[in-house]
Parts: sequence; C-alpha cells; structure tokens
Amino acid sequence: MNGPHSIGDVVGGRYIIQGFLGEGGMQYVYLADDQVLGRQVALKTPKNNSAEKRFHRSAIVSARVNHPNIAKTLDYIESDTKSYLIEEVIYGDDMQKALLQKVDKLDPFLCAKVFHHLSKGLAASHHVNVLHRDLKPTNVMVSGGINIEEIKITDFGVAKLAEGEIVEAAEGGHDTISASATAVGALPYMAPEVIDTPREVTLKADVWSLGAMMYELICGKKPFGTGLRSVSKILEGKYDEFPEFITSNRQFKSLSEQLINIIEECLQVDPVKRPTADQLVSKCSTLCYPVCKRLVGNIKNLQHNSYGFIFVQGSNDVFYHRNSVYGDFPSVGEPVMFSKFAGGRADRAYPLVKLKS
Amino acid sequence: MTTAIVDNLSGRYVPVDVAEYGGFSGVVKCNDQHLDRYVATKFIKDRIEVDRIKDEIAALLKMRSKNVVQVYDLISTGEDELGIVLEFVDGSDLLDSSSHPTDKDDLLRVLWQVASGLSDIHDAGLIHRDIKPNNIKVDPEGVVKIFDFGLSRETGEEAKTLGFKGTIGFAAPELYSNEVVEFTQAIDVYAYGATALYLATGDIPKLLRQVPPRLAPDDVFNGTLLQGHGELIDLFKSCFSRNPEQRPSISKIRDALSKHLLFNKHQALAVSNAKTHTLDMHNRSAALSLGNIGSFNITYDGFDFRLQNVVGEVSVNDTRALSGMAIPGSCVVAIGDQNRHNWERTYITFDVSNPEVAL
Repeated sequence: MNGPHSIGDVVGGRYIIQGFLGEGGMQYVYLADDQVLGRQVALKTPKNNSAEKRFHRSAIVSARVNHPNIAKTLDYIESDTKSYLIEEVIYGDDMQKALLQKVDKLDPFLCAKVFHHLSKGLAASHHVNVLHRDLKPTNVMVSGGINIEEIKITDFGVAKLAEGEIVEAAEGGHDTISASATAVGALPYMAPEVIDTPREVTLKADVWSLGAMMYELICGKKPFGTGLRSVSKILEGKYDEFPEFITSNRQFKSLSEQLINIIEECLQVDPVKRPTADQLVSKCSTLCYPVCKRLVGNIKNLQHNSYGFIFVQGSNDVFYHRNSVYGDFPSVGEPVMFSKFAGGRADRAYPLVKLKS
Repeated sequence: MTTAIVDNLSGRYVPVDVAEYGGFSGVVKCNDQHLDRYVATKFIKDRIEVDRIKDEIAALLKMRSKNVVQVYDLISTGEDELGIVLEFVDGSDLLDSSSHPTDKDDLLRVLWQVASGLSDIHDAGLIHRDIKPNNIKVDPEGVVKIFDFGLSRETGEEAKTLGFKGTIGFAAPELYSNEVVEFTQAIDVYAYGATALYLATGDIPKLLRQVPPRLAPDDVFNGTLLQGHGELIDLFKSCFSRNPEQRPSISKIRDALSKHLLFNKHQALAVSNAKTHTLDMHNRSAALSLGNIGSFNITYDGFDFRLQNVVGEVSVNDTRALSGMAIPGSCVVAIGDQNRHNWERTYITFDVSNPEVAL
C-alpha cells in the first residue's frame, strides 16, 4: 500500500485503515472504518508534512460547504506527526476514470446532468465564499458509473494546499510550471487570471474551470490542449472550435447548442463577463434532459448501413438506428452505452454512445 | 438533567448558546474547534435515555439520505452521559410560518423533499415517530433536513409503546391509548399528512387537534396553493385514514410529488424528414399524417404526450398505435405499414425530456 499507512493502522484512536483509495499530487487517500460511528470514511493525509498548517486551514474551508454535490467534511484530527481530513466516502471513481476514460464524447443529455449538478455544488460553495481553485475531472467523484447516481466535488482542501505551488509556478513562468506536477494537472482547466495574476483570483475562476471541464466532456478533448502550448491560448481565451458532430445530428442539436452557449459564457477571458455560479444554476435548471438508466452492450450487427441490434448480456437484443448515435459511429462488436425504450419486436436504444474498448 | 455534559463536551465542542431542553434530552449549539464550524450537540444524562440515544444514532447511521441530518461524532463525558454531535442546520424550523413556502413550486419542492427523506427512513426499516414541522428545517441551500430521531424505532417486534408518546395534531389516532400500542410506518404517514396540511394552510384544524383526532374535513385543502393538484390532495387526505393500512406509502407520495413538480415542464422534440418541432406547454399539440395512409394527433396534457385520433396505419416503436396511449420517453412513430414501399412510409422521432429537479 502506498503512503505512510498499512491496513489495520489505527488513526486518532478511532479510524482503522482498511485500504488505499488513491493519491493526488498533494495527499494520500485511504478507506477507513470509523470505530465510533461504525461506518466507512475517506481519510486524507498530506504528502508533505510541512504543509500541515495549510492543510488544517483547507479542512476548515471545506467544512463550511454543505451540499449534496459536495463531498462532506466529517472530521479533522492531528496526531503527533500527521494531520488527517476525514470525508464521506463516495463509492465510485473520479470523473476522469468514471466518464472520460470510458467514453470519448459524452452525449449532451449526460453532459447537461453533470453541468447541472456541478453548478449546484459550486453555487453552494460560492455562497459561503469558498473558491475551489482547482476544479478538474480528478477532483469530481462519481458513483454509479455512467448512471451518475451521485456526483460530488471534492478536494477543496487540495486546492488551498496547492495554492502556493501554483502561484509559484505561475509567477516563475514556463520552467516552473512544467516542473510542478500539480500545476500541469490543473493547467487545462486553469482560468487565465490564475496564470496571469495568481494573487487576484475571484470565484469566477471556478466558473471558467467548470466550463473547461464541460467542453472536454461534450467534445471529447480539452479546450486549449495540454502542456505549455496551451498557456498562450488560455490567456487569449482561444479554445478550439466546437467540432461539428456536436450539433450535426438534429436529435441532439437543440440541447447541444444550449450547452455550447453556456460553456462559451464560462470561457470568457474577462472574469466579470462570466456568469456567476447562481446564474449557471438557473441556466442549467431549465435544460431538458431525460433521466433514464444507462445500459451497456455491444453492437451485434448493422443492416443497410442504417440500423441494427445491440447485444446485451442477460437480456434481449436492443434495436438501434444510426440517427440515435452521438459522436463516432460504433462498428460491429464495439461496446456502447444507451438508454432503452419499450418497443414491439425489440426495445429501442436512444441515445447511443460508443464506449472505449 | 445537569449541565455537566454541556460544560465538558470533550474540550472540542464549545457551547456558543444556551442549551434547550426538550422532552427527553437537551440540545446545544457548539463550535467544533477542529473544523471551526457550528454543530448541534444533543445530550442525555440518564441510563435508560442513553440507550435511547444510541438507538437514535444507529438509526441515523443506517441510512444515507440527503434529507436527513448528518451525524459527525459521539461523545461520552462520564458514565450514563452521552452526546451526539450533529450537523447544525441554520435557520428556523417549519413550525415558524415565516419559513413557509409562498409559491406553489417551492411548496411542492419542500413537500417532495420531506417525503424523500421519510422514504429513506422507511426504506431503512425505521419509523421516525415524531414527524412534525418543528423537526424539519430547510438549510440555506434549500435542502430539507429531517432531524430529532429521539423516538425512532425499527419496525417489527419492538414497535410498541406503553401510553401516548407523540405530538397532538400530528400523532395518528391509533397512538392514543393507555394500553400497549403497536404501530407501523403508517403513523409517520399520518404525521406527514398533518405536516403537509400545516405547510399548505399554516394551521392544523381543531378537529385534528382533538384527543384522539377526528377526521379532517373534506374541503381542508380548498383554496390552498395545492388547488388544481387533485391527485396530491387526495393522497394527502388519505394520510388521515383511521385505518393505518389505508394510508398510502410515503414512497407513493414522493413519486406523485415528483410527477407534479414537472407538471407542464416537459418537452418533446419531434424530428421528421422535413423538420424539427418542439412540443411543450406553449405548443401543446400537433397533427401528423401521410396522405390517406394514416394520421394522428399528439397532445401534451401536462404530464404525458398522448396520441389522439389515430386513423389508419400508425405504429409506435413497432407496436400498433392506439388513441389515448402515452408515448414512451423516446420513440419512432411510423405511418404506413412495413409491407408498403418506402415512399408510402414516414417516420417521426419523438424524444421526451424535462428539467431535472436537483437539490
């Protein structure tokens, strides 16, 4: 197991380490059993002990935010040598693993749902004047996989922890940015002012980051690319044009266009022109999208180059038509996700999105 | 009850307000020194009551609900003393009429969230036993939180009590007895109905405040914000049934509320070869036909999109269309049967969607 702990370690006389959940640039995350309350929790400890004071500060900041779309802060404790933040455990993966590594492009329905919930969480944190500062797919936790049963923003702590490093990297220019793993990971979602004037960042920086994340979900690529070449594009607010497939299918056009408009508003260089999180919530709460279960299957066949059937483990084949596909058209044998609706000879799939094999 | 436990909340939780004492316990607002945030600490100093509060914690921890207050910690400051540290919800409870929703959508949202929280409680096999406006708050983000599980019990064997425990106006008729009373989740449903009535009218009618309560008058929801939602009013009224078994399940109430929250908010996108149409509350119906082969109307009734006046060869997702049927969330309506030539068939795709009610 990575980091300072092994299974069975007792932290603070209360939390028994049960497993390793992962690590970010700044911290280790463990699964632990809370002996006092008899439930599982996520236990986080910073990699760098000298950052402890800031870690405590960040725990306090994250504890102020209380919303279903934010991972709940439960406890903070210090031992002789280490400090720990205890958070509700989310049984799932971060958005990078749960969505971006599963699909190339997410259909506008699921995008709208993600956008809606994340803007709700963001609004709650902005209401108590808490800036996340490091919103990116690995800081969003998803349970239920492609069905997105729960979606929660996490790691407000890390944002505060990384602050010094990001400011240092930004002020030091290109060499330091590329040397800082944390800054590189955050860069594709970083607002221009975070790079330009890192000490004068407002809540609107989070709105930019959310817009950049949504761009990536719907387009299947990052708005400004990756690496140092993206810096000048970010500073000018010149994101790559939205690919044609997003709006070319009439089934998705209307919602896609609404999403593009909101994303474009978020990605304005002047922070003042970007919507507030509350304005984002009100825009997203009017978006119409079906909330249906998503299934997974494999394309079984294609007839007349226009329709065919999907093989689904343990259930009948599902009919699909090529007009119901969002993004790349899947070939026979390839995995897909879809919702299905009752039909006469077979249920009908809609929308249909190709999964990464 | 002494103040010892309030003075000594394990050093971490510092009282910032005067403790309030209720029937079985006390509660004090504290500052959690570790996280510098307010928490509500509920304390108890009686052997038997300590067992009760342990039940309360076990009950709360059994579920994961957005609408039930969160437990953070448990503290023991001495023998027969116990404190439970809970999420502090800022704002007044729903007894305070200034916190009542004043617009229909807000009212439906609050009632829906109370029903959702109570369904989570019932799904965990629990009975809250003291559902009432004083035990419900709406947090600053608009999220409803149910609290005070002081009386909660698991369903089944243990669900009986000697004598009356509850709140007049919200306690179901079967609870008014001097004998050993067995009760079920239906007492929470009765209390939910009374809570809904209180939120809709700002009062509990005299008849319901009698001991034991009489039946609610039939017109009790008339003139409230719920007017026009007959299905909901009927459900709420059936919460007051004398026979517990005739009260609806809380999940049925929750589902009806989520349906009514979306009343007139759906849209259907209709895509045919020629064009794209949107049907919604502003544009409720469309007529479609192909020569004399087949024709139909589609009409939005605020909940569903229904086919009307179906004539000739019309099918929905390969099933023969019938007048009055509601279309599934996504479907292809074909005019012209399969044995016809391509130019004698046409297809219209309908996709129904709606805004999501998110907390």
